[in-house]
Amino acid sequence: MADTNSLKDAEIMQRVAGYDSKALEQLYDRYAPILYTLIKKIIPEKETSEEVLSEVFVIVWRQIDQLDFKKNSVYTWLITLARNKAIDTLNRNSGKQMPDYNDDYEKENILPKLSPEMEPMELQEVMNKKEMLVKALGSLTDAQKYVLELSYYGGMDQEEIAAKLNIPAMTVKSKLQVAFGNLMKKVSEAG
Amino acid sequence: MDKKKSLDLIKLEVLGCLTEQDKEKLQAMKDEGDGFPWKELGDYQNLIAILPATLELKYPARDLKDKTATMLFNMRDQIKAKIEAKKAKEKPVEVPVAESVEVEEGINIEEQVEENITTEEIEIVEKEFAEVEEGINLNEVEEASIKNEPVRFTGNFKGKSEPETPSLQTDEVEIKELETKEFEPKESGKTVVDREVIEKIARDYMKGYERELNSLRSSVKKNKILSFIIFAVAIILIVAMYFIK
Repeated sequence: MADTNSLKDAEIMQRVAGYDSKALEQLYDRYAPILYTLIKKIIPEKETSEEVLSEVFVIVWRQIDQLDFKKNSVYTWLITLARNKAIDTLNRNSGKQMPDYNDDYEKENILPKLSPEMEPMELQEVMNKKEMLVKALGSLTDAQKYVLELSYYGGMDQEEIAAKLNIPAMTVKSKLQVAFGNLMKKVSEAG
Repeated sequence: MDKKKSLDLIKLEVLGCLTEQDKEKLQAMKDEGDGFPWKELGDYQNLIAILPATLELKYPARDLKDKTATMLFNMRDQIKAKIEAKKAKEKPVEVPVAESVEVEEGINIEEQVEENITTEEIEIVEKEFAEVEEGINLNEVEEASIKNEPVRFTGNFKGKSEPETPSLQTDEVEIKELETKEFEPKESGKTVVDREVIEKIARDYMKGYERELNSLRSSVKKNKILSFIIFAVAIILIVAMYFIK
């Protein structure tokens, strides 16, 4: 058997899909810090964020057959899954009216719906670009960064951001579109 | 299809910021299919996913890995059902191949389950074969019957013990145990049948031996009676000859 440390993310995930618990352990070792960092940014409370991290790995183990290895990026799938789960938990804990959490709800709202055409990304490859990403993000205006943060890490929709910033929802919409467009431009130029 | 419009909606969808009305519009564009910028959707999904890489890394508590392992262990039945469903779907008829090297290296649960089944079955058959051989060792039965001692069966009928597996491999171990347990009744069932066969052989042999003894005893008895008769006849003849003289 090959050393799992040298395996690519997709190779580990393929082993996880065969219910190889060692591969899942390897995936945990590799991804727990980045997923926990993201979850903790969304839910600052330590205990809850750790619970969510555990639940994310349980979902991976249960729903691994929902990931299309040939078309999707494992990195993006895991990050999106963790983000969706954390936002869902945040909304439930804040008393927001939410549907019952069951298998159908999980498939519809928590599992990522990724494009069938996307470039595969490796965690290590992304981490190597950290400096460039910080620079690209720094090139946005404070207002653009703020609306992006409220949306991505705060899980707020247009109306909620508009209410928080006391600006029209249409302005929020255009700010989000411009900010995201600019970020893509900067990253593409740097990459 | 207006690419700019669809790109604007894609940006909002990736951020999770679409209104219900915009969701429907975007879904209609996707369903239309032709010309939908799937590649751009993938690029924006990748872009938003790299944002967490700009944060300062934080690490969960060390014991969280064990807690996660426990959660996974608790769902072993669900996973087992999935494995079985997957097996049934992909390989309706399959002859498993046992490879001891892979077992040591910790292959996936599905393969281990198959190997367990194969090796367990082979071991059971081997044990039974050895036990039957021991059971029909007539010298032992004969000795025991002569000494009037019960016939002993020396076969080992105990199940195989499972090795301990740490951390996230607990569910693998559990599934192995479950598979082993499934075979225990089968093993003991066969064993009961074999015990009965061996005991029957012993009983038949002892009965045969007893019949031989009885026939010997009866022949001795007959001989005794015959000798007594001959002795009596001889005495009568001697007495008769004495009176004739």
